[in-house]
Amino acid sequence: MLIKLSDLPFGERAVVREIRTSAHDLNCMGLRIGKELKMVTKQPIKGPVVVLLGELEIAMGLETAELIVVETGTDA
Amino acid sequence: MTEEKAKGNADLPEKGTTVLMLGNPNVGKSALFNRMTGANAIVSNYPGTTVDFTSGTFIEGGHTYTIIDVPGTYSLEPRDAAEEVAVRMLRDSPDATVMIVLDATKTDRGLYVALEVMERGMPCIVAVNMMDAAHEKKITVDIAELQRILGVPVVSTTATSGEGVRDLAEMLRKAKVADIGAIAQRLRGEEQERESVRGCGGCGGC
Repeated sequence: MLIKLSDLPFGERAVVREIRTSAHDLNCMGLRIGKELKMVTKQPIKGPVVVLLGELEIAMGLETAELIVVETGTDA
Repeated sequence: MTEEKAKGNADLPEKGTTVLMLGNPNVGKSALFNRMTGANAIVSNYPGTTVDFTSGTFIEGGHTYTIIDVPGTYSLEPRDAAEEVAVRMLRDSPDATVMIVLDATKTDRGLYVALEVMERGMPCIVAVNMMDAAHEKKITVDIAELQRILGVPVVSTTATSGEGVRDLAEMLRKAKVADIGAIAQRLRGEEQERESVRGCGGCGGC
Protein backbone atom coordinates (compact mmCIF):
# COMPACT_ATOMS: atom_id res chain seq x y z
CA MET A 1 0.00 0.00 0.00
CA LEU A 2 1.37 3.43 -0.93
CA ILE A 3 1.15 6.10 1.76
CA LYS A 4 2.86 9.34 2.69
CA LEU A 5 5.87 8.85 4.93
CA SER A 6 4.25 11.25 7.38
CA ASP A 7 1.37 8.75 7.73
CA LEU A 8 3.62 5.78 8.49
CA PRO A 9 2.87 4.61 12.02
CA PHE A 10 5.53 4.54 14.69
CA GLY A 11 7.76 1.45 14.57
CA GLU A 12 6.57 0.31 11.11
CA ARG A 13 8.76 -0.43 8.12
CA ALA A 14 8.25 0.71 4.56
CA VAL A 15 10.12 1.06 1.26
CA VAL A 16 10.70 4.47 -0.34
CA ARG A 17 8.90 4.63 -3.71
CA GLU A 18 8.71 8.26 -4.68
CA ILE A 19 10.30 11.55 -3.62
CA ARG A 20 8.24 14.59 -4.58
CA THR A 21 10.64 17.13 -3.12
CA SER A 22 14.34 17.87 -3.66
CA ALA A 23 15.62 14.33 -4.16
CA HIS A 24 19.20 15.56 -3.96
CA ASP A 25 18.88 16.76 -0.37
CA LEU A 26 17.44 13.42 0.74
CA ASN A 27 19.71 11.27 -1.42
CA CYS A 28 22.87 12.74 0.02
CA MET A 29 21.57 11.93 3.49
CA GLY A 30 21.12 8.31 2.46
CA LEU A 31 17.37 8.32 1.74
CA ARG A 32 16.85 6.98 -1.76
CA ILE A 33 14.14 5.30 -3.77
CA GLY A 34 14.09 1.58 -3.03
CA LYS A 35 15.56 1.95 0.45
CA GLU A 36 13.81 0.37 3.39
CA LEU A 37 13.21 2.56 6.41
CA LYS A 38 11.58 2.38 9.79
CA MET A 39 9.65 5.12 11.52
CA VAL A 40 11.47 5.97 14.73
CA THR A 41 9.83 9.12 16.06
CA LYS A 42 7.09 11.46 15.10
CA GLN A 43 7.10 14.51 17.27
CA PRO A 44 3.79 16.07 18.25
CA ILE A 45 2.55 19.46 17.04
CA LYS A 46 3.99 19.08 13.55
CA GLY A 47 7.45 18.33 14.85
CA PRO A 48 10.21 16.53 12.95
CA VAL A 49 9.99 12.98 11.67
CA VAL A 50 12.89 10.64 12.40
CA VAL A 51 13.44 7.48 10.37
CA LEU A 52 16.01 4.73 10.61
CA LEU A 53 17.78 3.67 7.40
CA GLY A 54 19.97 0.70 8.16
CA GLU A 55 22.49 2.05 10.65
CA LEU A 56 21.62 5.67 10.37
CA GLU A 57 18.86 7.83 11.68
CA ILE A 58 17.80 10.85 9.74
CA ALA A 59 15.46 13.60 10.79
CA MET A 60 13.36 15.75 8.49
CA GLY A 61 10.62 18.31 8.73
CA LEU A 62 7.03 17.11 8.57
CA GLU A 63 6.55 19.00 5.28
CA THR A 64 9.34 16.93 3.74
CA ALA A 65 7.92 13.66 5.10
CA GLU A 66 4.57 14.55 3.51
CA LEU A 67 6.26 14.62 0.09
CA ILE A 68 7.79 11.15 0.34
CA VAL A 69 5.71 8.19 -0.81
CA VAL A 70 6.45 4.86 0.82
CA GLU A 71 5.09 1.37 0.32
CA THR A 72 4.06 -0.67 3.33
CA GLY A 73 3.45 -4.38 3.62
CA THR A 74 6.21 -5.31 1.15
CA ASP A 75 7.89 -7.45 3.80
CA ALA A 76 11.20 -6.29 2.37
CA MET B 1 43.01 29.26 12.22
CA THR B 2 41.74 32.80 12.07
CA GLU B 3 38.29 33.53 10.83
CA GLU B 4 39.73 35.73 8.12
CA LYS B 5 41.59 32.81 6.63
CA ALA B 6 38.54 30.63 6.58
CA LYS B 7 36.50 33.28 4.83
CA GLY B 8 38.93 34.35 2.16
CA ASN B 9 40.52 32.26 -0.52
CA ALA B 10 42.38 29.35 0.92
CA ASP B 11 45.88 30.77 1.28
CA LEU B 12 47.56 27.42 1.28
CA PRO B 13 51.26 26.85 1.66
CA GLU B 14 52.82 26.25 -1.73
CA LYS B 15 54.90 23.36 -0.51
CA GLY B 16 54.29 19.82 -1.63
CA THR B 17 50.97 18.24 -2.45
CA THR B 18 47.81 19.59 -0.95
CA VAL B 19 45.47 16.94 0.38
CA LEU B 20 41.88 17.85 1.20
CA MET B 21 40.15 15.55 3.66
CA LEU B 22 36.52 15.45 2.75
CA GLY B 23 33.54 13.42 3.89
CA ASN B 24 30.22 13.42 5.73
CA PRO B 25 30.04 15.08 9.13
CA ASN B 26 31.11 12.89 12.04
CA VAL B 27 33.10 10.26 10.14
CA GLY B 28 36.36 10.98 11.94
CA LYS B 29 38.12 13.32 9.54
CA SER B 30 39.59 15.40 12.34
CA ALA B 31 40.67 12.32 14.30
CA LEU B 32 42.41 11.04 11.18
CA PHE B 33 43.92 14.47 10.58
CA ASN B 34 45.33 14.54 14.10
CA ARG B 35 46.77 11.06 13.64
CA MET B 36 48.50 11.99 10.41
CA THR B 37 49.85 15.38 11.36
CA GLY B 38 50.21 15.16 15.12
CA ALA B 39 48.04 18.23 15.31
CA ASN B 40 45.39 18.89 17.85
CA ALA B 41 42.18 19.67 15.98
CA ILE B 42 39.12 19.53 18.16
CA VAL B 43 37.37 16.20 17.95
CA SER B 44 33.98 15.39 19.41
CA ASN B 45 31.24 12.89 18.95
CA TYR B 46 28.92 15.38 17.28
CA PRO B 47 28.46 16.15 13.61
CA GLY B 48 29.54 19.66 12.73
CA THR B 49 32.51 20.00 15.08
CA THR B 50 34.75 21.37 12.33
CA VAL B 51 33.21 24.50 10.84
CA ASP B 52 36.26 26.05 9.29
CA PHE B 53 39.39 24.31 8.14
CA THR B 54 42.62 23.33 9.83
CA SER B 55 45.78 22.52 7.94
CA GLY B 56 48.86 20.58 8.88
CA THR B 57 51.80 18.96 7.17
CA PHE B 58 53.40 15.59 7.19
CA ILE B 59 56.23 14.00 5.30
CA GLU B 60 55.96 10.55 3.82
CA GLY B 61 58.56 8.93 1.60
CA GLY B 62 60.43 12.21 1.25
CA HIS B 63 57.37 14.01 -0.02
CA THR B 64 55.70 16.82 1.89
CA TYR B 65 51.94 16.83 2.08
CA THR B 66 49.82 19.66 3.35
CA ILE B 67 46.70 18.11 4.72
CA ILE B 68 43.59 20.19 5.12
CA ASP B 69 40.79 19.06 7.38
CA VAL B 70 37.64 20.25 5.63
CA PRO B 71 34.28 20.59 7.43
CA GLY B 72 31.98 17.63 6.88
CA THR B 73 29.51 17.86 4.06
CA TYR B 74 26.73 15.62 2.76
CA SER B 75 26.99 16.90 -0.78
CA LEU B 76 28.74 19.48 -2.92
CA GLU B 77 25.60 21.58 -3.14
CA PRO B 78 26.03 23.45 0.11
CA ARG B 79 23.13 23.88 2.47
CA ASP B 80 24.89 25.60 5.35
CA ALA B 81 27.96 27.72 6.07
CA ALA B 82 30.21 24.79 6.98
CA GLU B 83 29.30 22.99 3.76
CA GLU B 84 30.00 26.18 1.82
CA VAL B 85 33.51 26.25 3.27
CA ALA B 86 34.01 22.67 2.09
CA VAL B 87 32.83 23.37 -1.44
CA ARG B 88 34.86 26.56 -1.69
CA MET B 89 38.01 24.77 -0.55
CA LEU B 90 37.54 22.17 -3.23
CA ARG B 91 37.08 24.88 -5.86
CA ASP B 92 40.06 26.92 -4.67
CA SER B 93 42.45 23.97 -4.73
CA PRO B 94 42.02 22.46 -8.19
CA ASP B 95 45.40 20.73 -8.03
CA ALA B 96 44.79 19.08 -4.70
CA THR B 97 44.42 15.40 -3.99
CA VAL B 98 41.16 14.59 -2.24
CA MET B 99 41.12 12.09 0.58
CA ILE B 100 37.53 10.98 0.89
CA VAL B 101 36.75 9.71 4.37
CA LEU B 102 33.86 7.29 4.84
CA ASP B 103 32.31 5.90 8.01
CA ALA B 104 32.56 2.12 7.63
CA THR B 105 29.15 1.72 9.25
CA LYS B 106 27.51 4.18 6.82
CA THR B 107 29.42 3.71 3.59
CA ASP B 108 26.50 4.27 1.22
CA ARG B 109 25.83 7.75 2.49
CA GLY B 110 29.50 8.67 2.28
CA LEU B 111 29.76 7.35 -1.25
CA TYR B 112 27.24 9.91 -2.43
CA VAL B 113 29.56 12.84 -1.80
CA ALA B 114 32.52 10.64 -2.81
CA LEU B 115 31.09 10.22 -6.30
CA GLU B 116 30.35 13.94 -6.50
CA VAL B 117 34.03 14.61 -5.80
CA MET B 118 35.11 11.99 -8.34
CA GLU B 119 32.95 13.65 -10.98
CA ARG B 120 35.12 16.75 -10.60
CA GLY B 121 38.10 14.83 -11.94
CA MET B 122 40.36 15.39 -8.95
CA PRO B 123 42.78 12.65 -7.89
CA CYS B 124 41.19 10.72 -5.05
CA ILE B 125 41.95 8.20 -2.37
CA VAL B 126 39.30 6.71 -0.10
CA ALA B 127 39.75 6.06 3.62
CA VAL B 128 37.14 3.77 5.14
CA ASN B 129 37.38 4.94 8.72
CA MET B 130 35.79 3.70 11.94
CA MET B 131 36.55 0.08 11.13
CA ASP B 132 36.50 -0.69 14.86
CA ALA B 133 32.91 0.52 15.13
CA ALA B 134 32.00 -1.57 12.09
CA HIS B 135 33.55 -4.70 13.64
CA GLU B 136 31.57 -4.09 16.78
CA LYS B 137 28.36 -3.86 14.78
CA LYS B 138 29.30 -6.96 12.79
CA ILE B 139 29.54 -4.93 9.59
CA THR B 140 32.19 -5.96 7.11
CA VAL B 141 33.34 -3.71 4.30
CA ASP B 142 34.79 -5.38 1.21
CA ILE B 143 37.70 -3.00 0.72
CA ALA B 144 39.16 -4.86 -2.27
CA GLU B 145 35.81 -4.86 -4.09
CA LEU B 146 35.22 -1.19 -3.34
CA GLN B 147 38.65 -0.44 -4.74
CA ARG B 148 37.95 -2.50 -7.85
CA ILE B 149 34.68 -0.67 -8.49
CA LEU B 150 35.93 2.83 -7.77
CA GLY B 151 39.29 2.37 -9.43
CA VAL B 152 41.06 4.49 -6.81
CA PRO B 153 43.00 3.31 -3.75
CA VAL B 154 40.80 2.36 -0.79
CA VAL B 155 42.34 1.94 2.66
CA SER B 156 40.62 0.87 5.87
CA THR B 157 41.50 2.86 8.95
CA THR B 158 40.65 3.30 12.59
CA ALA B 159 41.74 6.80 13.46
CA THR B 160 41.23 6.41 17.20
CA SER B 161 43.73 3.54 17.40
CA GLY B 162 45.87 4.52 14.44
CA GLU B 163 45.25 1.30 12.54
CA GLY B 164 45.72 1.67 8.80
CA VAL B 165 46.94 5.26 9.04
CA ARG B 166 50.43 4.28 7.93
CA ASP B 167 49.00 2.50 4.87
CA LEU B 168 46.85 5.49 4.10
CA ALA B 169 49.88 7.79 4.19
CA GLU B 170 51.82 5.48 1.88
CA MET B 171 48.94 5.18 -0.56
CA LEU B 172 48.49 8.94 -0.85
CA ARG B 173 50.96 9.15 -3.70
CA LYS B 174 48.90 6.59 -5.60
CA ALA B 175 45.75 8.70 -5.54
CA LYS B 176 44.08 8.62 -8.92
CA VAL B 177 41.44 10.42 -10.93
CA ALA B 178 38.38 8.19 -10.98
CA ASP B 179 36.60 7.39 -14.23
CA ILE B 180 32.90 7.82 -13.51
CA GLY B 181 31.90 6.07 -16.73
CA ALA B 182 34.05 3.07 -15.87
CA ILE B 183 32.58 2.95 -12.35
CA ALA B 184 29.08 2.82 -13.81
CA GLN B 185 30.16 0.07 -16.19
CA ARG B 186 31.72 -1.97 -13.42
CA LEU B 187 28.55 -1.60 -11.36
CA ARG B 188 26.54 -2.96 -14.28
CA GLY B 189 29.02 -5.81 -14.57
CA GLU B 190 30.23 -4.71 -18.01
CA GLU B 191 33.83 -4.55 -17.05
CA GLN B 192 36.41 -4.58 -19.75
CA GLU B 193 39.16 -7.02 -18.87
CA ARG B 194 42.40 -5.25 -18.18
CA GLU B 195 45.48 -7.32 -18.88
CA SER B 196 47.75 -5.51 -16.48
CA VAL B 197 45.74 -6.17 -13.34
CA ARG B 198 45.26 -9.90 -13.76
CA GLY B 199 46.81 -11.88 -10.96
CA CYS B 200 47.50 -8.70 -9.02
CA GLY B 201 46.72 -8.44 -5.34
CA GLY B 202 44.94 -5.17 -5.97
CA CYS B 203 47.00 -2.63 -4.10
CA GLY B 204 45.42 0.16 -6.12
CA GLY B 205 48.81 1.22 -7.32
CA CYS B 206 48.41 0.57 -11.02
